[in-house]
Amino acid sequence: MRQDDLYINKIDWLTITIYALLVIMGWFNIYAAVYDEQAAKSIFDFSINSGKQLVWIGTALLLITIIMVADYRLFENLSWILYIVLLVLLIITPFIGKEVKGQVLSIGFGSFRIQPSEFAKFTTALALAKFMERPSLDLTKFKYQIQVLTIIFIPIILIMLQPDTGTAMVYTAFFIMLYREGMPQRYYVLGLTIITISLLALGIENNFYIVIGVVVVVLILILLGKKKFSRILAFSILGAVTIVYTYSLDYVVSKLPEHQQNRIMVLFNPDLDPLGVGWNVTQSKIAIGSGGFAGKGYLEGTQTKFDFVPEQHTDFIFCTLGEEFGWLGSLVVIFLFCALLIRLVFLAERQKNRFSRIYGYSVISILLFHFMINIAMTIGLFPVVGIPLPFFSYGGSSLWSFTILLFIFIKLDSHRIQLLGRMK
Amino acid sequence: MNIKRSIVLRVRIAFVAVALLAGAIFYKIVHLQFVEGEKWEAKSESINFQYRQVSATRGNIYAADGSLLATSLPFYRVVMDPIVAKEEVYRAGIDSLAFLLSSYYRDRSADTYKRMITEARTTGKRYLILNRKQIGYQDMQKMSQWPIFRNGRMGGGIIFEKVEKRYRPFNNLASRTVGFLNEDKYGVGIEYSFNEYLEGKNGRALFQRIAGGSWKPVFDAEDVKPDDGYDIFTTLDVNIQDVAESALLRQLINKDAEFGCVIVMEVETGHIKAIANLQKNKSSYGYGENYNFAIGDQGLTEPGSTFKLISIMALLEEGKIGLNDIVDTGDGTFRFYDRTMRDVKQGGYGKITVQEAFEKSSNVAISKLVDQHFGHSPSRFMAYVEKVGLDQPLGFQLRGEGAPYFKKPGEKYWYGTTLPWMSIGYESKLTPLHTLTLYNAVANNGKMVKPMIVQAIAKGNAIEKKFQTEVVKKSIASDKTIKALQQLLEGVVNNGTAKNIFSGDYKIAGKTGTAQKLIDGRYTQRYYTSFAGYFPADKPKYSAIVVIDSPKGFNAYGGDVSAPVFKEIADKIYAQDLKLNKKTAVPTYLAQGINEFPFIQAGKVDELQMICNKFGISNHYNGQGDNWVKSVPQVKSIQWKSNPTENPTVPDVSGLPLRDALYVLENKGLRVVYQGKGRVKNQSISPGTPVQQNYVINLVLG
Repeated sequence: MRQDDLYINKIDWLTITIYALLVIMGWFNIYAAVYDEQAAKSIFDFSINSGKQLVWIGTALLLITIIMVADYRLFENLSWILYIVLLVLLIITPFIGKEVKGQVLSIGFGSFRIQPSEFAKFTTALALAKFMERPSLDLTKFKYQIQVLTIIFIPIILIMLQPDTGTAMVYTAFFIMLYREGMPQRYYVLGLTIITISLLALGIENNFYIVIGVVVVVLILILLGKKKFSRILAFSILGAVTIVYTYSLDYVVSKLPEHQQNRIMVLFNPDLDPLGVGWNVTQSKIAIGSGGFAGKGYLEGTQTKFDFVPEQHTDFIFCTLGEEFGWLGSLVVIFLFCALLIRLVFLAERQKNRFSRIYGYSVISILLFHFMINIAMTIGLFPVVGIPLPFFSYGGSSLWSFTILLFIFIKLDSHRIQLLGRMK
Repeated sequence: MNIKRSIVLRVRIAFVAVALLAGAIFYKIVHLQFVEGEKWEAKSESINFQYRQVSATRGNIYAADGSLLATSLPFYRVVMDPIVAKEEVYRAGIDSLAFLLSSYYRDRSADTYKRMITEARTTGKRYLILNRKQIGYQDMQKMSQWPIFRNGRMGGGIIFEKVEKRYRPFNNLASRTVGFLNEDKYGVGIEYSFNEYLEGKNGRALFQRIAGGSWKPVFDAEDVKPDDGYDIFTTLDVNIQDVAESALLRQLINKDAEFGCVIVMEVETGHIKAIANLQKNKSSYGYGENYNFAIGDQGLTEPGSTFKLISIMALLEEGKIGLNDIVDTGDGTFRFYDRTMRDVKQGGYGKITVQEAFEKSSNVAISKLVDQHFGHSPSRFMAYVEKVGLDQPLGFQLRGEGAPYFKKPGEKYWYGTTLPWMSIGYESKLTPLHTLTLYNAVANNGKMVKPMIVQAIAKGNAIEKKFQTEVVKKSIASDKTIKALQQLLEGVVNNGTAKNIFSGDYKIAGKTGTAQKLIDGRYTQRYYTSFAGYFPADKPKYSAIVVIDSPKGFNAYGGDVSAPVFKEIADKIYAQDLKLNKKTAVPTYLAQGINEFPFIQAGKVDELQMICNKFGISNHYNGQGDNWVKSVPQVKSIQWKSNPTENPTVPDVSGLPLRDALYVLENKGLRVVYQGKGRVKNQSISPGTPVQQNYVINLVLG
């Protein structure tokens, strides 16, 4: 009991304050997104999304309370069980869930529905933390790399089957945490190279320029290093593979489902289809762009009030903010997110045991990924993938899962002194 | 590299990567809002601001008493974007929505609706018109509470598209005359003829798109305000129109006729009070307003015997004959060249006076007289037709007026037989309105006025245009001739072919007409019957013409078919019109000069007895069970005289307070109109008259 009394004082109230600010701002923005001047309803009206969001917020508070009063060892002990339960839920979702526009994302009864893919984020984070807790685990060893990747890729594959590419992509965020935990750099160099080459291959119409670029880079690399045959061969093969990849990518893209193909191509040229796929991004840009320095004022936005953007109270909530509060408002939100992330990095680094630190970095990775990708897509920097802005977007599953994700870490952090003793 | 350095390096690299990404995002937002800001703002305005047409509200059409004949009301087209609704909303609501739609429109089954919407949802059709039928405001309100729909445009995909629709409060009443205008600006009746006034001028204004996808006007200097249409005030009288239509309909059904029309006109002013046109169709009544026979081209026919009025007028004006001159009609046949003129009566009328010839509508007599006096110079006869303007269109206010047709002497088709046949109403064509205009002139003591249906065009209280009665001819004939013509027309009803419609209460004057129809160049056994006339004959107030085409059955003459309709209409107008009808003031005891007991004149016996007993007034009642009584003051007491109201006749309500009178009369199915305050002094339908449902009875209180 004395330990429990102690931990209240150790709770990081700064993180909680930022969390609360984001949730409240999100709630007001959700109201703005559905606000209809002609039939103005109260923000508390349960028939509109802001009223429903209030219910989610209320239940999130309940979840927070449960997390905070639970035994801090519970999460660690339940890691594997929770991970497996969520995997089972992910497996059965396509069979018992509801189909919406070709995707089966949610399960539940009546109007109570949850998306297991949202909750699997924190269970995967717990499982990874539990698995990597052992000091003997060395990520430079191939055996461990495979084991860790397996833990990450099982949920990814299951979510891809729903299919929900956007959410599945989020799980790649764990690589940020793995980087911190000592995953070899070469994978990241390779990964970033592939991404860069892919973007160039898709973005630049004439692949010939890429071929020239690849040849130049390979030559420079060869000339800079030792002129050993094996090394020259390796770089040459790498260059050839890159060129083949460049050409094959176009072919692969042409074989993708049309909506994904469009989402990718529109990134490079939004005017390609301004009324179709580019519509969302164009409308979102109009909203943010027309916001100007200080925005049009709360509830005064015009662009975001139409059903231009189908997911505007969820995935495109940022454009409501950009339109009504302008550059200043966007800056405040970005600042809050940055502050939250930096604070979490600080918290993670002060953890005395690996479990908490790994989990903390997982939380940071997921939030960073959501935050970056979501805002990037609303301003046209990234293809439209349907992922919400943490704490801000409308939706019970996403708010709950982010709340649980964050507060488990806050809980663990508040017990860092006790956990110290278990450092091995 | 030691572990610590490695970790620090990694964190730094990660931090730089995050900073780069954040920087990219920050740069992009700045770029969007400041560098490209104007571009996006302009784009947003081009999407969100638009000049849109502001429709002018179409003017109303009013009857003479101010009743609305046509007005514009908002209606809504129900359109759905089936993609919008969320899956759970859709699943939960689609079955009940389909059921509600089906039970509302009653044209498709719930399953069909469900299939229709679901199909559109799966195929991605974003604009599904659920039903072409437009709904009213109340229904729109109700419908917006239905499942799925109640989530609104953004949540349920419901779109109510507003359309202004013309609404006629009296439905089909005078529908062809009130008319319509279709989207190609073609139409009929007042709507079409006065469209330039009714339609107004559309405006233009800047609109901003607001939530829910609707448009909100914003102030802009370039706005052009819509100029709403003018209201049209007609001369039509809703009651008379109703009376005319129902009388005509009954007779058409009765005689299984093809079509019929009625025009009622105010003698002095030429105001048209009613135009009814009914033609066989597939409606539930079997007849409907499909064409304006009263005025239009298709209403042009050989007028038949009603035309004999002109023939007699010409003869009288020439001074060739007197009403008491004798004409020999022989055996009822007379040969003109190669054609034989026949009278209806087998064996003929023998020797009769001109008056009798007209009353009995003898073809032989009239044609013989005309041929005898004008045969050598038919153009002299034609001069009389021209003098009364029958050969020219009237220039009536409604478009599409039929132009009369007369052969001209000396033309290729003018034969020797043309004049005699023309004199009895063949070989020429007139619309009913033309014929009525002539009869109206006779009723109006020779003064021919142009019929009119629109008396004013106004907006609000400002009158734009007022139409005065136009006098076509100050006098169509000498006073003497007019008097003689009036006498002849009265004679037709008193003694002649329309004897069956003689009325004791007031006098009707008129002429029957029965024309054989010319079909494919041959006269057939199908008739075109008519009755044109006016009433009350001694002081004409209204003139009217009734035309019934191709009646079936034994008695298919004008006197049997059209005249009774005239009589029915005249009776009802007469009953409603207090000015016409002064002598029906019900004699009460006041008329007997006894006024010692002024305040209880009539009422319920038990109540009256109670009052008198309270005040110690001696009273007697001999009847039994009779509730309604009238007071009969005796020398020192009051006698209650029962005043039965159970009979199927109009009760005597004189002396009753309005409340009681309303109770008694409305229980009989009469419609009560009243003026003044106090007790009933005067009732427009005499007690004892058989009750007809929905008759209007006018009460004067005092």
